[in-house]
Amino acid sequence: MNQEVLSLLASLNADMADAIDRVHRSLVHISNGRGAGAGTIWHPDGLIVTNAHVVHGRHDLKVSLPDGRRLPARLLAADPDRDLAALSVDATDLPTIEIGDSRQVRPGQWVMAVGHPWGIQGSVTSGVVIGSGDALPEMRPGRDWIALSLHMRPGHSGGPLVDSQARLIGINTMITGPDVGFAIPVQTVKLFLKEALGSRETIV
Amino acid sequence: MSDILKTLSDAMAETAERTGQSIVQVNARRRLPATGIVWSADGVIVTSHHVVETEERIRIGLPGGQVVEGTLVGRDPSTDVAVIRTNASGLTVPAWAEASEVRVGHLALALGRPGDSVQATLGVVSAFSHSADEHKYFAQTDVVMYPGFSGGPLVNVTGQVIGMNSSALMRGVSLAVQTPSLKHVVGSLLQHGKIRRGYLGVGVQPAHLPAAAAEHLGQRSGALVVSVEENSPAEKAGLYMGDTVVALNDHRIEDMESLLSALGSAAVGEAANLKIVRAGQVHDLSVVIGERN
Repeated sequence: MNQEVLSLLASLNADMADAIDRVHRSLVHISNGRGAGAGTIWHPDGLIVTNAHVVHGRHDLKVSLPDGRRLPARLLAADPDRDLAALSVDATDLPTIEIGDSRQVRPGQWVMAVGHPWGIQGSVTSGVVIGSGDALPEMRPGRDWIALSLHMRPGHSGGPLVDSQARLIGINTMITGPDVGFAIPVQTVKLFLKEALGSRETIV
Repeated sequence: MSDILKTLSDAMAETAERTGQSIVQVNARRRLPATGIVWSADGVIVTSHHVVETEERIRIGLPGGQVVEGTLVGRDPSTDVAVIRTNASGLTVPAWAEASEVRVGHLALALGRPGDSVQATLGVVSAFSHSADEHKYFAQTDVVMYPGFSGGPLVNVTGQVIGMNSSALMRGVSLAVQTPSLKHVVGSLLQHGKIRRGYLGVGVQPAHLPAAAAEHLGQRSGALVVSVEENSPAEKAGLYMGDTVVALNDHRIEDMESLLSALGSAAVGEAANLKIVRAGQVHDLSVVIGERN
């Protein structure tokens, strides 16, 4: 192998690691007294998004921030049908994830899912987008999903799905097999937050 | 951060999109639709045999969204290949990769169109298997066969088609019929509506050759003829019980498998050269290959 190829591979590795570093800065761990899941900091003033099934029916929610602080969290809104929830912690100036546009998602593009499978903090799996939309073979029609070819596990639930540039394009939500995962598109998250909380500026 | 990962990601998405222009949806079974590949611009589609449960009025969803009707031309269960003819024209034919260009470890995308839009999964070429019948070139991969992906192409990073994916050839393993097999099978189905396999009309068993013949031929065994069917190509060629077949055209024959393999690729109806050992001496016979039913 020539030097040019080796340097390309090194750059590829560095790109992936850099992207994951950025994702880790806004990745949180959510414990609900019985189980746990992942979440992402959406707004610097403590707004966190995750799956509804991660927080469902629990009142003793604790969020571990990337800086090590462990804070009690308040459930702002949950939509079990969309499987999305918004939490708030009493903190400011938190690092947020860059929000992407899931309408631009293309089959075959590179993606990475981050979460805490088996309690392993910030664990990454990568693969490609199979397809997206509301007419995917394994899902009931009428709801938008991003289908993924990667090794997602239950502990990835609520965690971020990002593109090659570490932009949030979805929330890891479910798997239908060891090699196929599904994420809720970030456009659905935006809609949920708008409906549940009003515009972002009003959330403090 | 460099932009290598983004470039790679964009390139894969572009490959999926571009090759998607040659991928159709195939509606020929009750449950989920499957995928097909454009074989010719004038409407021939190849897909998996196991997804075709009906032979008439097969609905084919073209990349542009148009739906045309197709009819089954023929099928080959042994390679899981079916050919469908439609009246569509101006279809986009994909680029095909030569089998020799594909290596274990190469990245490969599996593409499908069970819905309106193209879908993709990524993996690597895991292994090759070339079975006894010469025209069976398979590539094993670790790509996920998402529901409806059977009949779709396995493509390399530049968008060339390596083969056609099937989830039905081996349980739990993604296999793709590679280009040479596909060309042979589809060509035969288009010409004859079925796969023609050569026939001699002999029963054989493996046997060691006499030392002198073995040394002369450079092989230790051959296919000993233990029966010859009446009026068969073998009888007409003058083959007798007790002869040992050692070659058919350029193919070395050492046992029944290698004879079957050679016959699988032999041209039906054409003369072939049969090399035999009879009473210790090597002879050449001319035989007109028959067709196995």
